[in-house]
Amino acid sequence: MPDMHGRRTRRGIALAAGLTLALAACAGQGSAQDDDGATGDGPTELVLWHGMTGPDGPAVQQIIDDFNASQDDVVVKPNVMPWDVLYQKVLTSLSSDDGPQVVAMSASNVPQYASKGALAPVDDFYADDTWMDTSALPDAAKHAADFDGTAYGVPLNIAPMTLYWNKDMFEAAGLDPEQPPTTWDEFASMAEKLTVDENGDGKPEQYAAALADHTTVPIYQMLLWGTGGGVVADDAATATLDTPETLEALEFWVDQVREKKVSPIGLSGADADKLFQTGKAAMEIVGPWMTTGFDEAGLDYGLAAPPAGPDADVTLADVVAFTVNAKASDAQQDAAKTFFAYWNSVESQKTWADGSGFPPTRTDIPADELENPYSAVFGDPELLGSAKVYLAGVPSSGTITDSIFYPALQRVLNGDGDLTEVFTQANADVQAAIDKG
Amino acid sequence: MLWPMVQSAYLSFMDYNRIQPAQWVGLDNYRELLTDPAVGNALRNTLVYAVVVTPVTVGLALALALLLNRAIFARGLVRTAVFLPFIVSLGIVAIAWAFLLDPNIGLISHWLDGLGIVSTQGWLSDPQLAMPAVMVVGIWKTVGFYMVMYLAGLQSIPTELYEAASLDGAGPWTRFRNVTWPLLSNQTMLISIMAAIATLQAFDQIYVMTHGGPYFRTETLVMLVYRVGFEDLRLGYGSAISWVLLLGVFVLSMLQWGYFRKRAVTY
Repeated sequence: MPDMHGRRTRRGIALAAGLTLALAACAGQGSAQDDDGATGDGPTELVLWHGMTGPDGPAVQQIIDDFNASQDDVVVKPNVMPWDVLYQKVLTSLSSDDGPQVVAMSASNVPQYASKGALAPVDDFYADDTWMDTSALPDAAKHAADFDGTAYGVPLNIAPMTLYWNKDMFEAAGLDPEQPPTTWDEFASMAEKLTVDENGDGKPEQYAAALADHTTVPIYQMLLWGTGGGVVADDAATATLDTPETLEALEFWVDQVREKKVSPIGLSGADADKLFQTGKAAMEIVGPWMTTGFDEAGLDYGLAAPPAGPDADVTLADVVAFTVNAKASDAQQDAAKTFFAYWNSVESQKTWADGSGFPPTRTDIPADELENPYSAVFGDPELLGSAKVYLAGVPSSGTITDSIFYPALQRVLNGDGDLTEVFTQANADVQAAIDKG
Repeated sequence: MLWPMVQSAYLSFMDYNRIQPAQWVGLDNYRELLTDPAVGNALRNTLVYAVVVTPVTVGLALALALLLNRAIFARGLVRTAVFLPFIVSLGIVAIAWAFLLDPNIGLISHWLDGLGIVSTQGWLSDPQLAMPAVMVVGIWKTVGFYMVMYLAGLQSIPTELYEAASLDGAGPWTRFRNVTWPLLSNQTMLISIMAAIATLQAFDQIYVMTHGGPYFRTETLVMLVYRVGFEDLRLGYGSAISWVLLLGVFVLSMLQWGYFRKRAVTY
């Protein structure tokens, strides 16, 4: 299954950990690589880590091969591993002397490493046209990996979330298969028809939606934006889980899931994909990486912007960014930027979009120049224009998401505790995590 | 073995995130864990898991050993079946059970639905059922190993003792009570201590099955150490928690050892 997002698979199978654990394994070494391109003659070598192990992998390889063939100064050596493995290894490798020079990672993970000085700033990439004209890159992608006013990443991809809906199931429920819900109210009324409990045992045989509440792309967090709420304010410094707007959105969605049973509780991202793929849920909000899997399953589905909230029509953009190891030499840093510019060129982005189904990272490639039909849908300027990155610039984003937000959400979905109380406490915890850095 | 422990003890007095230099913070980590609700929660879960799983595993292992020590049908096959889960990789076991318990495609969920026991969200994400589910799998996984240890013990008991007891008119229960049980006390001591330590360190199987969820309902102390150490990057704090756990396991093992030693039988 293609999986572009780190959080979903970051926690894979853990091997047995002993009592004092491998805490002392901080002395562990990454694999040695004798690629100090700064010395000697010949081309500068860049070791690049990325996690594109899905159907998008060949497109990445294609662009790297093209780049290596296009000039003699820089050689990019990719090292592909699943995202969960990459995130497990990345910190050790960045703190050792023989780590990779370039690491691709979800932009939401960048502040965590940038705040600790593990990444080199890339401000000069955007400063002028030395490397490329960056005005073609969408703002959401450009600033996704900013921390403290400094840029630490160059976009590898941008993936806006869309609503996938199963046309056959809409038709069977007596709904127009070409009309997905465009507002929360429409969602609620359609969901009523799409939720089917045939034998009345309280467990629907068919769900209206598959909404994942852990190890997934942040779908619930995105829904909070619909009322003007959210987990953290745009200043990346203020927790907003206890504001009236956030609580209003939470009450709507918790009621939908808990009382109206539009979605099962306790789904991971992979569970939600499976539920939609097997025709047990009629809708799912997810990114472009699922099109291949759903096509192979033979689903007749449509793609549209997620239903708009009462106060705002925002979708979530998931951005994977290239970052540069703070220990890379000047020559390597320059070489990396040369490669980033090549990656984000018109030609490369056509290769990328056609090969992966993702939208191009550039706003200046007309839809009719793309062969893959999904690239155009996800690259729709209106959709990308309303896209926002979750927890941009917040170093403790991982803790906030996995240790505070999802547990609080699961508590109220399971009816364990008062919603306002649970989220007032969660808000205090988020604020404490932000303040700690 | 020793060096990592010394390093970890040193780290427990530091604030360290792997990239920036470590900072000495004295007893701050230990002070924090005394009031940290996450530590209290994980400690509670660990104790509940250990208190239920340890005696059930030991009791079940003994029962199975007694049963499979007799000449019953397909004895070898049954012994193998009970032992098999122990040698299968834990990751595979956990994934297989997660499938079996899946609310939508799981075989066990399907059977339970048929019996009228409906879990709308599956055993592993239901806050009431997640802990019992991981307990059942934990017992199923390890009971075969302890059974084999008991079998070895049973076979080392001289048959003359049983013959003598029978001549004195002892029935099966009396024979078990006065011959088998006392002569198995060395095995019982070893097995109980091993099982208790293993449950107090429960991590991998639960981690793969539930990640400690839903909302920390199955998070054990070792999982908490992993979360704060490797996910929140607070290695000093994680070390402090693991040292408190180590101390607890040590004290408990000593108590068990003292208890059983008085009852040990040599022959």
